[in-house]
Amino acid sequence: MRFTRGKRGGDSQPARGLSTGNGSDTGAPAPGTGAWNPGAAADAATAPWNPAPAADAASPSTTPGPSQSGFDFDRPAPLTENGHGGDRRQPEAAPVPGATPVPTPRPAPPEDDFTFEHPIAEHRPARAHAGDGDGGVGPASSSRVSVVDEQGPRPEPPAGATEEEYKWHTYRVYPSGRPDAVEFIDTYRAFGKNRILRGLNMGLPEGMVSMILGPSGTGKSVCIKHMVGLLYPDQGDVLVHGHSVPNMVDDELFEMRKKFGLLFQDGALFGSMNLYDNVAFPLRQHTEKGEDEIEDIVMRRLNEVGLGHSRDKYPNELSGGMRKRAGFARALVLEPDIVLFDEPDSGLDPVRTSLLGELILEVHRDMMDEAKAAQKTHLPTFCVITHNVMMARRTADYINVLWKGRIVEAGPTEDMLNSPNPFIRQFLAGESMGPLTMD
Amino acid sequence: MNVTGSLETFGDIVVFVLSILGRLANLRVFRHFGEVLRQAGILILSSTLVIWGLVFIIGLQCGIEGAYFNRSVGAPAYAGVFAAWCDLRELVPLCFGYMMAAKVGTGIVAELGSMRISDEIDALEVMGISGVTFLCATRLLAALIVLPFVYLCAIGAGFFASYLAVVQQIGDVSSGGFFLIFWEFQNPPDLLYSLIKAMAMAIIIVLVGCYYGYNASGGPVGVGTATAKSMVFNIVAVHIVGMLGTQLFWGTNPRAPIGG
Ligand SMILES: Nc1ncnc2c1ncn2[C@@H]1O[C@H](COP(=O)(O)OP(=O)(O)O)[C@@H](O)[C@H]1O
Ligand SMILES: [Mg+2]
Repeated sequence: MRFTRGKRGGDSQPARGLSTGNGSDTGAPAPGTGAWNPGAAADAATAPWNPAPAADAASPSTTPGPSQSGFDFDRPAPLTENGHGGDRRQPEAAPVPGATPVPTPRPAPPEDDFTFEHPIAEHRPARAHAGDGDGGVGPASSSRVSVVDEQGPRPEPPAGATEEEYKWHTYRVYPSGRPDAVEFIDTYRAFGKNRILRGLNMGLPEGMVSMILGPSGTGKSVCIKHMVGLLYPDQGDVLVHGHSVPNMVDDELFEMRKKFGLLFQDGALFGSMNLYDNVAFPLRQHTEKGEDEIEDIVMRRLNEVGLGHSRDKYPNELSGGMRKRAGFARALVLEPDIVLFDEPDSGLDPVRTSLLGELILEVHRDMMDEAKAAQKTHLPTFCVITHNVMMARRTADYINVLWKGRIVEAGPTEDMLNSPNPFIRQFLAGESMGPLTMD
Repeated sequence: MNVTGSLETFGDIVVFVLSILGRLANLRVFRHFGEVLRQAGILILSSTLVIWGLVFIIGLQCGIEGAYFNRSVGAPAYAGVFAAWCDLRELVPLCFGYMMAAKVGTGIVAELGSMRISDEIDALEVMGISGVTFLCATRLLAALIVLPFVYLCAIGAGFFASYLAVVQQIGDVSSGGFFLIFWEFQNPPDLLYSLIKAMAMAIIIVLVGCYYGYNASGGPVGVGTATAKSMVFNIVAVHIVGMLGTQLFWGTNPRAPIGG
């Protein structure tokens, strides 16, 4: 799996940005051609850094995972035919399949404008426990490692929106040094006239606690539902461990979902069952475990979230916070590879919120240790959705800031906190002064 | 609701129903047989008595009116005809349908609808369990297992009520005389046809309830609206099934010892 993912990464690398290695290969950066320069668009459309014709529609299977290749042909968006690497960063930039790739000097990354130096090679996730060297995906070996990139042309704003509206979107992605467990590629999704995802490109790195931060109503929950195949994109693709979710047939989808644990915004406990049965439900449905073993696991999870004494209560007898914690226990009970938390902190008091943050980290750490001990193919990936900046600063290894249906900037927490982008600065500081206003 | 809207809804229902029937046909529902049994238990415990009660009442009324009508045409001994025909062929199926729609159908809409709006169905799907199979197909199968028995008992309750009204209350005819006519005017196929009518109603009601509940949206208000819509749909469906069944089974042939 590592191999395939690495290979896939190789394809997508240029799109995500200059990695150090790649940068030196291509060499000759042309200073001044920044992402902000619309003139760069034409060049970039031809994917200069990847002159092999295979990069074009001729090789749709940039994700050579075995089950993936089966349905590449009916990817929803033609853009993805170019290899999601290519479109991941440039929704509007690769519209001509088969266009002759003309090697041109790669535009310089605009972050050159900014003063801070990025020690890419040494870069590691902010949090120590996120683990170095696990799975052998170091920045040097992983093509998925992207650096601050902006190298391509700046993606056009979505149809109907002005450049002005997207002026804070630098689309910069600081490297995480990991492959992505979940990837959004140019995903569009509207509900009637209400356009929620507007060319979203986002990745959740494996083995990290990621956050999707964004103001309420931006479509964070919609994102989660796309990951697990509860909603389908109008256009674009969503990959989970390299497999395209929208193209799965029902059986594959249900199998894929077993990788996920999902804590819904309100817990979504089954009202007809007590807490114990709720948490035991996935075990009873999906494992052959005996009742004794199930009881061990369930009580461990319930005690972990401090609900061991309420095992016989029904969800409607619990407070919102308790329901959420019970949902947390239920999401973890099958030890999924990817755990998604939809606003775990909303409705909790500040103390509970920080305890919950710690709990999330602790559980993640344990699962990382177990995964490494068991040499699992995929490291446990957590994704927390929140608009609570404090929680993000304290808990996240990696932050995606979502606004207006696209990622403004993404990267490991430290990089994000140091971001020169005024929008990100305002958002992560939670200040009222700045580009983000009530409208 | 306009005509195209209704047609679209009807089309959606058909598609949805086919997917449920698919889960029955490919036996996936048997993976959740425990849930089937649980639903069957709920049906028995919560709905049988009220169905039998309603049918009993209608049997009484039918018996009383039948007895007086037969007295007025000078054939009081023939009061058993009403029990044999009106109960078995029309009123018991209809009452069964009404109570199924009111109790079971709306119950399913409300339950599935609230599961839908509180994300419980999504949670189920994310756990890798198909909501259609686990929630809808299991309910249909439970209904198919339990309801024939419930319905046959309901017929018994209706007959018993008619007997009480005709023989014990009004008393124009003896017990033996009542049963002579009663048995003369029906035979086993009639019972089967009546059962078919009722089961058709029940299946439609359960499926329509599943459709409206599973696809509810718009918060608690949406669940309320869906419940009301399902009730309207089901009452109309009960009557259509009743009418079609009567036409089909007895419309051209009364299946009775009468001249003509
Ligand atoms: N199933 C749906 N049908 C119609 N609109 C939806 C649906 N799901 C979400 N939306 C709309 O998408 C927007 C974003 O919703 P959501 O993802 O819940 O925001 P948040 O970022 O706060 O989680 C909201 O305006 C909501 O009205
Ligand atoms: Mg939300």
